[in-house]
Amino acid sequence: MDLELSVDESALRDNVRAVLSGLCPKSVVRAVYDGAAPPAELWDQIVALGWPSLAIEERHGGLGLGFVELALVAEELGRAVAPGPLLATTTQFAPAVRELGGDETSARFLSPVAATGSTGTLAVAERGQWTADAVQARARWQGNRWIVDGAKSAVVDGATADEIVVLARSDEGLGAFVIPGAAVLATPRTVLDPTLPIADVRLDAVAVDTDRVLAEPGSPHVEGAVERVLQEAAVAVAAMTAGACRHIFETTLAYAKVREQYGRPIGSFQALKHRLVEMYLAVERATALVYYAALAIAEDATDRATAAAAAKAAAGDCQRLLAEDGLQLHGGIGFTWEHDLHFSLKRAKAGDALFGGAVAQRAALAQLLGVRAAGVEEVA
Amino acid sequence: MKLTFDPEVEAFRTEFTRWLAQNAPTAEEIAAEPALGSAHLPAWARAWTRRMFDAGWLVPGWPPDRGGRNAGPVETLVYLEELMRAGVPRTTNPQGLGIVAPSLFDYGNEEQIRDYAMPILRGERSACLGMSEPGAGSDLASLSTRAVLDGDRFVVNGQKVWTSGAAHADFCFLFCRTDPAAPKHKGISVLLVDMATPGITVRPLAEIVHPERADLSEVFFDEVAVPSVNLLGRLNDGWAMANGSLAHERGMVWLRAVLELEDDVRRLIEQAPARLEEVGEHERAVHADRVAGSYVDALAARALGYRGFAKYVRGGSAPEQALMKAYCSEARRRVCLVAAELSGDEAVAVARPGHLREQECSWIERYFLSFGMTISAGSSEIQRNIIAEKVLGLPRG
Repeated sequence: MDLELSVDESALRDNVRAVLSGLCPKSVVRAVYDGAAPPAELWDQIVALGWPSLAIEERHGGLGLGFVELALVAEELGRAVAPGPLLATTTQFAPAVRELGGDETSARFLSPVAATGSTGTLAVAERGQWTADAVQARARWQGNRWIVDGAKSAVVDGATADEIVVLARSDEGLGAFVIPGAAVLATPRTVLDPTLPIADVRLDAVAVDTDRVLAEPGSPHVEGAVERVLQEAAVAVAAMTAGACRHIFETTLAYAKVREQYGRPIGSFQALKHRLVEMYLAVERATALVYYAALAIAEDATDRATAAAAAKAAAGDCQRLLAEDGLQLHGGIGFTWEHDLHFSLKRAKAGDALFGGAVAQRAALAQLLGVRAAGVEEVA
Repeated sequence: MKLTFDPEVEAFRTEFTRWLAQNAPTAEEIAAEPALGSAHLPAWARAWTRRMFDAGWLVPGWPPDRGGRNAGPVETLVYLEELMRAGVPRTTNPQGLGIVAPSLFDYGNEEQIRDYAMPILRGERSACLGMSEPGAGSDLASLSTRAVLDGDRFVVNGQKVWTSGAAHADFCFLFCRTDPAAPKHKGISVLLVDMATPGITVRPLAEIVHPERADLSEVFFDEVAVPSVNLLGRLNDGWAMANGSLAHERGMVWLRAVLELEDDVRRLIEQAPARLEEVGEHERAVHADRVAGSYVDALAARALGYRGFAKYVRGGSAPEQALMKAYCSEARRRVCLVAAELSGDEAVAVARPGHLREQECSWIERYFLSFGMTISAGSSEIQRNIIAEKVLGLPRG
């Protein structure tokens, strides 16, 4: 097992990091916080560089790379606190179309992503639950098309994405549909991190033609495919979180070396040294697990479900420590709006909240590992 | 990145597992004559070390005349994986094979290699490592055991403590002060001291859980005469060897720590469902959360360890390796506590006395035993200081 980046993988990561540091300095992030839209040229450049098409198959106009590459990009998005539709389009929408649909729907919905930077997202959660079981949105067959009703919570880019993959169930079981963003009623939430916009999405009798059906409700492959999609989305968010945390760590470490009190750098005090080592360990631990899970997904290993849950849980542990000690060790300056630190703190917090936080991941792990039978506590 | 090893590495693994199946000591042989300490060589262990040496499987990375086959680091990794998987101890004198012998090859002359290093590799002699003293634990360079050159011999006076295996070792790799006037790092030398020399008294220290376990000892030196030819390397050059010794020790110790942690978590996960049936609903959720957290800890240890190893193999710096000692030993401690607390009033149980293997102890006993790893060989706190200064570049306090 080789968990260090290959030459190509590190070249990709370095390239993404360099491009983002040029196109998305913290002044761009700050402008979004102050109410500006993400700059159009950022997304135009990202599309020109082909990042949306990285993991789309070549026959659909993509570059045919895999999930490891996507995870590396997501890590850098977190590090830069980059705004924009890349995360949801590449790690939520595209995997959902690929895993749930067939060749025709992939050609129809993924080719525009690769060719023109068409955007998408995934609406799965309901009332804060990020599992297939929690889906109560309804799909009913009427005449020659499906009618979808329901309410989805916390959809990333839910108010702006061109296309939304929606999970809904009929009496036959779970199904998946691609619904135009314009056809839903999206209510943007006022969120801590405005660079990662989230909306609640209502579907009121939305009519879906058959050519927009990824998976007929009750198709035998749906449950497994949804799990695989959720694993990709969760590990990508974990990568993003780890990236944000690495930035917090590096910023805090640099500050501890230059900030002086009692005539010496505060980083020379053992109490702070040990906390910085804890932060460093937490970031390396989360990163190593994210890479392992990304590989397990890319190679379709038998432990991909547990690896994904462990990676998301570790990213959650990591952000908890890094946000807390990162802010505390900065002292008063980190408490201000003017300092850039809070952008990363908030992105890290958002990362834990989306696609199941550390506690939810460990609960899922307990079931996957057979420690605890599924649904024991639902009896009450 | 990839999950698998190259075919040549897998071929190497197969070659070793085949040899192992035919040559490893049986569980019955091992149980019939258990090793009583970390420098005790029961008959089966002597024979097993010799078989590995002759076949080039003792230290695969070394040349054939040193019991190896010039294998690369990745091959050595899979070799250790397979030994652990088979449940076969590589040696009953880990410090002799892992630290003393390699240090002798680094610093010893021809005679010292012949008389001290090679017998370790053939399973004929065992060694202990005389480092810590009552006044020199984490601050090893403050050691005060004194060696005075007197003609063709050194005369040694002083005391060591926490010396693993001292009661059974044939010789001691002894750090002592040879120049009290020099700065503390510059007056230390290493002597090879036959443990049967008159004037040496070994007093085993009964351990915290089972007093009949007493691998650690106090060692008293009273006018002990050591031939001056037993000086290793140059006079007053011992501090470099101390650092070198620990570098050998940290070489692939992480792998054993990862595999043992995984083994513990596997057993915890096996035991958990039955116990969870017995507890109330709210307790159940909390315990399940902790058990799952232990799984994350163990998988993280694996991912961190293999990631650091991959960097090391490529010749880059591998800061993960510095993290592994504190992380794995503390994760092990957490797992033992999670398991002990899950076991309810069973947590006060004590395993039957005797020369217990660690796996036979109860979880709470193992929790106490796990402090052996967070305290010894550079405590967790010292590890954090080292990482802060050497890896993160923070200024010394």
